[in-house]
Amino acid sequence: MKEIIAIIRPNKINTTKRILMENHFPAFTCRSCLGRGKKNADTELVAALMQAGELPRDVIGEHFTEATRLIAKRLFTLVTSDELADKAVKLIIEANQTGNPGDGKIFVCPIEESYRVRDGEAADEVF
Amino acid sequence: MQLIRAIIRPQKTNEVITELLAAGFPAVTKMEVYGRGKQKGIIVGNVQYDEIPKEMVMIVCEDENKDDIIKIIIRTARTGAGNFGDGKIFVSTVSEAYTVSSGKAGL
Repeated sequence: MKEIIAIIRPNKINTTKRILMENHFPAFTCRSCLGRGKKNADTELVAALMQAGELPRDVIGEHFTEATRLIAKRLFTLVTSDELADKAVKLIIEANQTGNPGDGKIFVCPIEESYRVRDGEAADEVF
Repeated sequence: MQLIRAIIRPQKTNEVITELLAAGFPAVTKMEVYGRGKQKGIIVGNVQYDEIPKEMVMIVCEDENKDDIIKIIIRTARTGAGNFGDGKIFVSTVSEAYTVSSGKAGL
């Protein structure tokens, strides 16, 4: 089994849910989180621009100079069987791709065992 | 690739992610979590508080950077020698990673 962890834009959740549902992946878990990626604002450059008056000194501008500024995202998790993992990844990419940085990341991790709480049944029958 | 999940004190999160940025690991995700540890939460009189607020910091990195990141987290998230409640770090494997904007594999 594979666990697919996707960190995506909050406004893409409904599209992702719909596309996965249409392709027979109804089960998922989702929660809000904050994060940042590899691309980072050059804080010194932003501060210099604000000093020179080229950037407005508003709340958002001030915010940019903080090194630990984090962006709101949704952490979307689903568990699939090994053979369906690639298809699920493709569907999530298709649903979330706008071509801009910040679209998110997808991680695929192996899962050793899974159980259904209702009857204690193990493993692949869950799917 | 390795997925590092660190459950740390909320007041230490900012310090940890600032240190990670300074060390060249900018990409992190954080979220609020609630939990208890081996000390069974905090017991005050007859009352047991076992849903203590913490923050979980998630980082996915290449295998060779794993030890550096863990060292940075342990160094900055510590409040003193051997205080309970400073947190835990879990490491698990990630078999594949994709960037959504380009659809390419890899970090």
